[in-house]
Amino acid sequence: MDLSIVLQFFISGVNLGCIYAALGLGFFIIYSVTRVLNLAQGEFVMLGGMLTVTFYSMGVPILLSTLVAVVIAGLLGGVLYRGVIHPARNLSKATQTFLTVGFAFAIEGIALLIWGWEYRSLPNFLGTPNIHLGGATIIGQTPWVTGITLLVVTGLFFFFGHTIQGKALRACADNPLGAKTIGISVERMSLYAFILAGTLGGIAGAIITPLTMVSYSIGFPMTIKGLLAAFVGGITRAEGVILGGMVLGMAEAIAASLIPSGYHSIFALIILMAVFLCQPRGLLSSPGKT
Amino acid sequence: MRDYLNWAKDILISARGQGGEARDGSFLELKNVSVSFGRLTAVDQVNLVIRQGDIAAIIGPNGAGKTTMLKLISGLLPLSQGEIWFKQRRLDKISPHHIASLGVTQVFQDIQLFSNMSILENVMVGCHVWTDAGFLSTGLKLPHAKAEEKEIMERAMSKLSLVGLEQKALAPPANLSWSEQKISGLARALAAEPDLLLLDEPYGGLMTSEIEKLSQLLLKLQQGGITILMVEQRTDEALEIANQVIILDSGAKVADAAPSEIQSNEHLIATYLGGRITEGGKLHYAASE
Amino acid sequence: MPASRAVEQPGKNMKILKHTPVPILGQVKKTIELRRTKVEHLIMALVVVLFLTMPLFAGPYPLAIMMDIGFYAIVTMGLILLMGQAGQLSLGQAVFFGLGAYSSAILTTQHHLAPWLALMLAAIITGSIAAGIGRAVLRLRGIIVSGVTLVLNLIFFYLVLSLVDLTGGANGIINIPSLSPVGVIPDSLFDYYFLWIVAFLLLAFSLNLVNSRTGRALRTMNILAGGGEETAQVLGVNVMKYKVQVFTLSAVYASIAGSIYAHHIGCIEPEIFGAHLSLLVAIMAIVGGMASPWGAFLGAGLLTGLTELLGGVRVGSG
Repeated sequence: MDLSIVLQFFISGVNLGCIYAALGLGFFIIYSVTRVLNLAQGEFVMLGGMLTVTFYSMGVPILLSTLVAVVIAGLLGGVLYRGVIHPARNLSKATQTFLTVGFAFAIEGIALLIWGWEYRSLPNFLGTPNIHLGGATIIGQTPWVTGITLLVVTGLFFFFGHTIQGKALRACADNPLGAKTIGISVERMSLYAFILAGTLGGIAGAIITPLTMVSYSIGFPMTIKGLLAAFVGGITRAEGVILGGMVLGMAEAIAASLIPSGYHSIFALIILMAVFLCQPRGLLSSPGKT
Repeated sequence: MRDYLNWAKDILISARGQGGEARDGSFLELKNVSVSFGRLTAVDQVNLVIRQGDIAAIIGPNGAGKTTMLKLISGLLPLSQGEIWFKQRRLDKISPHHIASLGVTQVFQDIQLFSNMSILENVMVGCHVWTDAGFLSTGLKLPHAKAEEKEIMERAMSKLSLVGLEQKALAPPANLSWSEQKISGLARALAAEPDLLLLDEPYGGLMTSEIEKLSQLLLKLQQGGITILMVEQRTDEALEIANQVIILDSGAKVADAAPSEIQSNEHLIATYLGGRITEGGKLHYAASE
Repeated sequence: MPASRAVEQPGKNMKILKHTPVPILGQVKKTIELRRTKVEHLIMALVVVLFLTMPLFAGPYPLAIMMDIGFYAIVTMGLILLMGQAGQLSLGQAVFFGLGAYSSAILTTQHHLAPWLALMLAAIITGSIAAGIGRAVLRLRGIIVSGVTLVLNLIFFYLVLSLVDLTGGANGIINIPSLSPVGVIPDSLFDYYFLWIVAFLLLAFSLNLVNSRTGRALRTMNILAGGGEETAQVLGVNVMKYKVQVFTLSAVYASIAGSIYAHHIGCIEPEIFGAHLSLLVAIMAIVGGMASPWGAFLGAGLLTGLTELLGGVRVGSG
């Protein structure tokens, strides 16, 4: 096989992987603090994309549009916690998980009312041209996707490792009761987790829009991809989720190069499900009882 | 159909109850059993023989591995090393539900009654092991399932009346007192017609009047041919009714004898029972004095 | 180790524990019977009469909504057995609805089987696939099962898109024959009665199941109701077997609904069987209340009614 093709698929794999990692991290943050699977995570992605498109088409510069969209998505994460999860905090985690589904349906319905059925797109950020690298073509948005994801992930690691708030969040994740006894408000930390997850989703939505286009209905597919990344890597560790995202992205890219088109998505999904079922706690966890 | 059921059940009961191997002491046997969780050794090379028809009590300080022992026998925890034999069948290689079907039934410390079923239904669940109607026959109410259901209800009621709770049959578990819940848990286990009952702290949380009642009940079960292995913090009560007392400390067996022998051993009493023998021959707790 | 208390011939005194008739047994039985007969049979009779006579006075629009409720109710009923009884959270019911619909459609349009035969074969095919999936997925616990079953929706969607020769890809399958025998009564009326009679038969089956050895065994493993896998196992319940069986059963329910749907509508496409449908029936199960199979009708009725009022979309359009 031509080296340039290998390079091409490697780059598109990393690119996809970054997106999936960002999606998965949203699940990780909420799950580790609250043990709820936020099945509305994909809706934040949809909103991030749709809002960026909307502001951009109103003449707002692209980076500012993105910023505003991301902030709104983050706030909506807070709304989801305050309005839905917090009132139901005494119900089972299963019920809370299903409530996020209700929230997702509501967001989707509202999005349909506002934006209709059409798919929308954005130009590459700052009009970055496509890059030609030794026979491989790299879409101009790719560096943005990879770069922003790297920035966000680095920021998250710094946040969790070196700030008081981040450490408090981690404490909640490790041991909620212990965190409570040393005076950390688990409720406040849960709120932060939802806001953070909303923000992450919004960022992912804004940066992928030039690549994949968005419509009101992309939320649930995004949720599912993110879940898969989180599960494959191990939802209990951030490194695991990032690895899971990368593996999913690479698997799709490699499948795209080897398998006739039309079959590659399904191939990647089946391989990953198989991996997951063999290692139910994820790649980055010690094997043991599930 | 009904005759067939009764016949099958008699075979089942006789196959379990009148095992000839009881005399040679190999009813339940633990051979060199060890369990470790990571670096922690919870049970350390324990050898143990329980004779059929006995009441055996495992006592010892908190964290001695007592509950772990029961879970090993009922198959809920895997052994790291050793073998467990019950009526000449090896238990440590088979799944917990299979062990239950061989006649070993465990009652947990916190009972875990099913909150969405009445007490009667809870006890009816106990009949699961000796019945076999599946999805199709129960869903279609085939004659076999119908006959079985009738049999199950009668048996459950008779177990409830055995423990004296027949009046509470239709109450939800939440309406029962703690001691009644514990007794219902026992009735549920009895509905499985076990040969070996594993009881985790049966006396835990009971009041004095209830303790005597439970002891009477356990002795009655013993007379009925059921072997009982219990784990108990309340050594007084355990020594009172047991034929065999096993003291466990840090996962190792430090004593295994009749209660009278334990009670005459000053060292064991001072170290493990936290008390001393008074003139009446009864134990006193240092803490309760 | 001399035993302090001599044990006299174990097993000899079995009489003590032998089954003795309990005086209040009859009374207890009567109370249970009354509870069941009075409430359930009355509601059942009323509901059945209402549904059977409805076509006499209702127009086509209410009947179309009733069809939707019927489809949803059957799928939800299976899910209630799975979630409400066994406590397993599945978000993949649309996959089995879709498998039923596609199997029926393929068997009738490409292999020219009779629709009723296709319906039964589809249920068997779907059940077998579900048993396989269940064996793999149900080893996992709690919320994670819901996540994994949700992923199944996407796999099924891509699979249907990819296997163009079999499924028609994005175009779907058209000209699926009706279940109705030609010329007896109008197709839509036949479908209505067929669907609802199947729904009531499945309800009866579910109610029997819930009040039986099998139903109780399922509830033992439901952590949402005081049970748990350990408790279930020490009582002799083969947890894995029961989980897989009830998962399979819920898939068969969904498959039957899917087959009837395909034969009723006449054309299917992959969009219909997405995560949306899975999530919607899960919400129906929760809204309807998961304690009893009756909840399926309540949940399906309420949510379908609500979406109709809001001018929403019905099954088949997303």
